[in-house]
Amino acid sequence: MRYADFTPYDIVLLLQGLGVTLALFVGTTLIGLAIGLLLAVVHHYRVPGCRPVIVLVTEALKNSPVLVQLFLVFFGIPAFLHIRMTPVEAATLTLSLNTAAFAFVVFRSGIESIDRDQIEAAQVFGLTRSQILRLVIAPQAAAFSVGPLIGILVNQLQVTSLISVIGVFDLTKIGNILNLRTLQPFIVWAVIGLIYYLAAKTLAHAGGRIEAALRKSVKWGGI
Amino acid sequence: MIVAENVEKRFGDALVLKRVNLRVEPGEVVTILGASGSGKSTLIRCINGLETLSGGKITVDGHDVSTKAGLVAARRASATVFQLFNLYPHMTALRNITLAPIEVLKLPKAEAEARARALLDKVGLGAHADAYPQQLSGGQRQRVGICRALAMQPRYLLLDEVTSALDPEMTGDVLRILAELAADGTTMVFVTHEIEFARHISSRIVFLEQGELIVDLPTAQFFAEDGGLAVRRIRQFLSKMKKD
Repeated sequence: MRYADFTPYDIVLLLQGLGVTLALFVGTTLIGLAIGLLLAVVHHYRVPGCRPVIVLVTEALKNSPVLVQLFLVFFGIPAFLHIRMTPVEAATLTLSLNTAAFAFVVFRSGIESIDRDQIEAAQVFGLTRSQILRLVIAPQAAAFSVGPLIGILVNQLQVTSLISVIGVFDLTKIGNILNLRTLQPFIVWAVIGLIYYLAAKTLAHAGGRIEAALRKSVKWGGI
Repeated sequence: MIVAENVEKRFGDALVLKRVNLRVEPGEVVTILGASGSGKSTLIRCINGLETLSGGKITVDGHDVSTKAGLVAARRASATVFQLFNLYPHMTALRNITLAPIEVLKLPKAEAEARARALLDKVGLGAHADAYPQQLSGGQRQRVGICRALAMQPRYLLLDEVTSALDPEMTGDVLRILAELAADGTTMVFVTHEIEFARHISSRIVFLEQGELIVDLPTAQFFAEDGGLAVRRIRQFLSKMKKD
């Protein structure tokens, strides 16, 4: 057996890579959704001075390459602030903010899709802002947002492959290592691509089921 | 008592309400008439605090709606029925009605639901408690809207063109319910184009003309030749409405 041959242990490596990819994806998704939601709520309530800042930052995040953002966070910020940052920290920060920017847009349109009329009704009946947000806006905005969010997350899963460039041992980085060792790029990248494909399909399928369940339980036909 | 003193409302350069004075005593049914754009709905929206005043003062049972605490108390005393119903589409008829009693009045759920079901029965929608607004006709939705307002046991009912979006048959259903409420002594401020109905149930009629309240008379006098009809603009308005 030559050093360049595939070995059974490569499967373990691939699974480890997949694990890192999924862990970062899930972590940054949760952080990103939370931040995106917070931004949408702050935007909705027109907190003084916040709107232009939120729009500027999210627009910048949406309209510049993630790879450039990653370099800025991993190389630029540590150099500028004289701090240390690990590849995982930089990847987490960048992907979280990126997801947050896209999630913000979805949540914002979800909130804006709700008729002003109903909110006025809730106001004159004496409901407080937080009651209106929780009971009137949130359920409808959530139903509106599920579909678009799944689309964004499937895309963000692919985007995680960029973090291999700054040295995170994710699935793509493992692929790189295997490729250099075996010099069989066609097989390696086909397998890596297939794994991403299966992960993305699984995610889309699960999301579709959540959406279907929501549609079923939400009889009012709002989505 | 609802008291509006020298109320002014401006939208940009447009002065929509000009020094409007109005008093509504408990037990009265006061109808606000006027052409489209005369400021009728805006006046209602100033009373329930959906618009902030540009000048003057409105109090509901002494609570100034321009202060935060006053507005909370004023909104507790009144309830609004809207032209386009403004129901919550993701909630059943029952939940639409019980939401504010449970969340704002802190009524126990069972009590709020019992009260809501009784109201739905009263307006002939007992079988539709679990229907969503989308499954109801316009007239049924508006009856749910009325139940939602009544469930708050308001001292004042504010009705903003509540039949304008309904066909004549549904309008009849809704007006019958309002007539019963009026007969029960419910205080109402009623913006409408249903002149004959207004004549039938109102104790007073006020007429708005381009944001000015030009006439405020007891109903009989409003329709008398030497009363409201002596005002040329009102005569024109009434004859035009009859033709329509």
